[in-house]
Amino acid sequence: MTELLSNHLLSVILWLPLVGALAIALIPKRLEQQAKVAGLFVALATFVLSLGILQRFDDAEAGFQLVERSAWLPAWGVSYALGIDGISLWLTLLTTFLTPLVLLSAWNSVHKHVNSYIVAMLALEFGMIGSFLATDLLLFYVFFELMLVPMYLIIGVWGGPRRIYAAIKFFLFTIAGSLLMLVAILYLVFVIKGGSGAPTFNIVDLYGLAIPMKTQALLFFAFTLAFAIKVPLFPFHTWLPDAHVEAPTGGSIILAGVLLKLGTYGFLRFVLPFFPEATYKYAPVLAVLSVIGIIYGALVAWVQPDMKKLVAYSSVSHLGFCVLGIFAVTQTSIEGSILQMVSHGLSTGALFLLVGVIYDRRHTRMLADFGGLAKSMPVYATIFVIVALSSAGLPGLNGFVGEFLILTGSFKTLPWYAVVAASGVILAALYLLWLVQRVFFGPLDKDENKGLPDMQWNELAAVVPLLVFIVWIGVYPNTFLKKMEPSVRQLLTTVEDHHAAIGKLAVTEPDAPAANPVDGVSR
Amino acid sequence: MNLNPLLEPDWLKAIRPETILVVGGLLLILLEAFFRDTLRRLLAPLAAVILAATAWVVVGMYPWVSDAPRVFFGGTYQISVATIVFDLTFILATLLVIMLSRDYLQRENIDCGEYYALLLWGTFGMMMMAKGLELLVVVLGLETLSVCIFVLVGFHRRIPISNEASLKYFLMGAFATGFVLYGIALFYGATGSTSIPQLLVYFSQNQSAGPLLTIAFILIMAGLGFKLALAPFHGWAPDVYQGAPTPVAAWLSTAPKAATLVVLLRLFAATSPVAEQTKWMSIAAILAVLSMILGNFVAIAQRDLKRMLAYSGIAHVGYMMLAVRTVREDAVAAIALYAVTYVLMNIGAFGVISLLQKNQNDPQTLDDVAGMGFKYPFAGIALTVFMLSLAGIPGTAGFMSKFFVFKVVIDAGDIGLALIGIFTSIVSVYYYLRVVYFLYMKEGDELTPVPVRGAFATGALALAIVGVFVVGLWPMPVFDLFPLAANAIFLGH
Repeated sequence: MTELLSNHLLSVILWLPLVGALAIALIPKRLEQQAKVAGLFVALATFVLSLGILQRFDDAEAGFQLVERSAWLPAWGVSYALGIDGISLWLTLLTTFLTPLVLLSAWNSVHKHVNSYIVAMLALEFGMIGSFLATDLLLFYVFFELMLVPMYLIIGVWGGPRRIYAAIKFFLFTIAGSLLMLVAILYLVFVIKGGSGAPTFNIVDLYGLAIPMKTQALLFFAFTLAFAIKVPLFPFHTWLPDAHVEAPTGGSIILAGVLLKLGTYGFLRFVLPFFPEATYKYAPVLAVLSVIGIIYGALVAWVQPDMKKLVAYSSVSHLGFCVLGIFAVTQTSIEGSILQMVSHGLSTGALFLLVGVIYDRRHTRMLADFGGLAKSMPVYATIFVIVALSSAGLPGLNGFVGEFLILTGSFKTLPWYAVVAASGVILAALYLLWLVQRVFFGPLDKDENKGLPDMQWNELAAVVPLLVFIVWIGVYPNTFLKKMEPSVRQLLTTVEDHHAAIGKLAVTEPDAPAANPVDGVSR
Repeated sequence: MNLNPLLEPDWLKAIRPETILVVGGLLLILLEAFFRDTLRRLLAPLAAVILAATAWVVVGMYPWVSDAPRVFFGGTYQISVATIVFDLTFILATLLVIMLSRDYLQRENIDCGEYYALLLWGTFGMMMMAKGLELLVVVLGLETLSVCIFVLVGFHRRIPISNEASLKYFLMGAFATGFVLYGIALFYGATGSTSIPQLLVYFSQNQSAGPLLTIAFILIMAGLGFKLALAPFHGWAPDVYQGAPTPVAAWLSTAPKAATLVVLLRLFAATSPVAEQTKWMSIAAILAVLSMILGNFVAIAQRDLKRMLAYSGIAHVGYMMLAVRTVREDAVAAIALYAVTYVLMNIGAFGVISLLQKNQNDPQTLDDVAGMGFKYPFAGIALTVFMLSLAGIPGTAGFMSKFFVFKVVIDAGDIGLALIGIFTSIVSVYYYLRVVYFLYMKEGDELTPVPVRGAFATGALALAIVGVFVVGLWPMPVFDLFPLAANAIFLGH
């Protein structure tokens, strides 16, 4: 057992949720309570085991750690390869951290097919962990797409009135992007094989290869499209509000908390190091889209009458920051971006959870139906205000740190974009305070709101751990930053070295029109 | 010393699997005729045992041909690693269908020995098609198979749409065979041979093919395209699948397609020296593209599950054709893997439909599976797995096969075709998911039929589910056979 844990820690963390899900699937339907306890136990056990990663993680090491590798499809150079580095570390932990909270929050709010809900959640966790841990391109793709199935079911079975539309839209949007990426993956591997002989899907072997610019641009856009839909980046975001509004609370938390991060993670893990040239060349395009997303998301959030929709659009805005930070390609902005991914997962996850709390009581999420809740639900109100402020970027809470780092970092390479994006921070404060104002303050004038019970044990148990980290990241982000620093530095080295090499190559080529493709980005 | 030049010394050994199938089929009919009441319950198990014996003999041939393919009957019949792989695919398909049929036939009260015998003889016909190096042998196999299918499709004697389907298939099938024969005749006229190895020799030496040969090629493509339900020769498929007894539709939609694709692989390989000049592979590409587009888009409009699967099958053949037309060595492997996959998932999907207890003259629609997922977990999970596999979701065999096909196509440099394939795949996800939506997200009513559970059918579905995951997650053992198989198809004449 200890041998298994020491040599295959990542595998154990990856497979435990799936094994748990299969076991829970066998529990008879009527034993709902037992299934809930078992699900929570599995999720907690996964979380505890994932803490073992922290203990064994070497802060100074930049490459993949706790690596596992065995041949899967040797004829194609595909292997079952897992590893973790500073980029995936916190996202993996975020996943294992959020899953038990989601199960807790659903304790009294999911009423039909309870066992299946838990099975779907654990299967989803399997897919998410797999995507973050995979260091083989095909293995990543398998997990990346596999996740869609449980999420489709979660939205479609346990969702709101328009759940079918939302579920199918979610599935089709995402799979359209990822299937296109599949062609790009195959073409990438085909191109590589043309160069060096043996086919390989090993991510590290594919880093920083000299791919002709024309090909690189095409592949860049195919990969980018897949991840941009997932993030979602403006104008590919239209599935997100639908999915969020219709999904059950737990689905929304996971969707906002983790699933969207796979898009931004994909940029960092694949797009930047695979296609450094194209990244520099097309960074402004992505920057424009993310800035539009930041402003547009914020403005649309501001006018939403529905709390959940408001939070959903705020995600579009917040993730715009993450993408901007990534395509600014500086140490500070990328670190900020990763931190913002985690922060957003915590804050927005908490917001969805809290919206779910009130929805369970009132079966409405319309701002107009509330007012003065601070009087009837003081604990709830306090927590909500803290979380809303963290999402708005109040210094001392988590949201501030990430956004600050992103903006400082981006200022070096994309100054004007950073300036415009900064206004998104102000807008965030506006729409979140507007939300708080209308729901919690003012007169308690609606009879239905007067006798509402305050937070229950399971709701508190789900939200308090989130608050701890919201404060922790805000007060001492270095705990988190220091572990990601070497990996981000290595990523930048890969991107810049290759870029410099190609830059020189371009100078020596007489017919290359632009000697220095960096022009697009004033570095 | 061999006195008869047509019979090689080991010829009896070579046709052992075929012998078992034919004799086994006869035995079933005789047993049923003489011991109708006592043995009736044993017919299906007996047929399964005959198939298992055949499989055992086929596997036993592996050491015999693992170094090089062996050729019999004056160079017309090939035993090789490739034919072993495909033989096993046919046997798997027939075995699954027999297991599904037993409960179905008893419920519909049409259980009799001829049914199983026809399935066995049809399997024999497919084996002949896959092994034939001589186009006339291929036609013999094709006809044996077709006659069995004519009867099986009309096996619901008292149900009008079953009779209609049988007649449709018969008339159109007769035309299709006519086309194939006419094409072969033209090939003979132009090249002086109907033997695939000799065609290869002819095309290698002459490096040219006139318009007559192009017409011959088109005629053969039309005839075989009919068997494959390749657009635009697909018109029969939805009606026939809908009318045929569901297990027969399952069989008909999978194994014969695999057998026909082997023939196409051999034929395309033989004509590959003139491929540049004749543009025959462009014709194949057009048919493939047409199939993918038409199959996937029309499937969206279908509410009858069997018709939906018919159109989805048209699209899947399009994907397979994409790989076949590259005439690359790994295309053989891709087709073999796709064939096994398609057998597992499509027979599985039809299998779940065959469980629905209702008047077989009425269509089995999406509404019939509404709410089934939570009420009947096994049937629900089974149908979900098969739908996800048909849609090509990772983890299932459908993904692995589609991935392999697209890999072959992209490695051959046909990015455009791969992109068309991908775009139509996205479309297909919609209608496969719609089934999952009906299973889990809609409520059924009292009219919703109840899926019947019998031990045999459940076993078949369980086998197919396990197969879908094994092929989807761990196809490597199969891969090791493929270089040998490719040699057999392309070089082992």
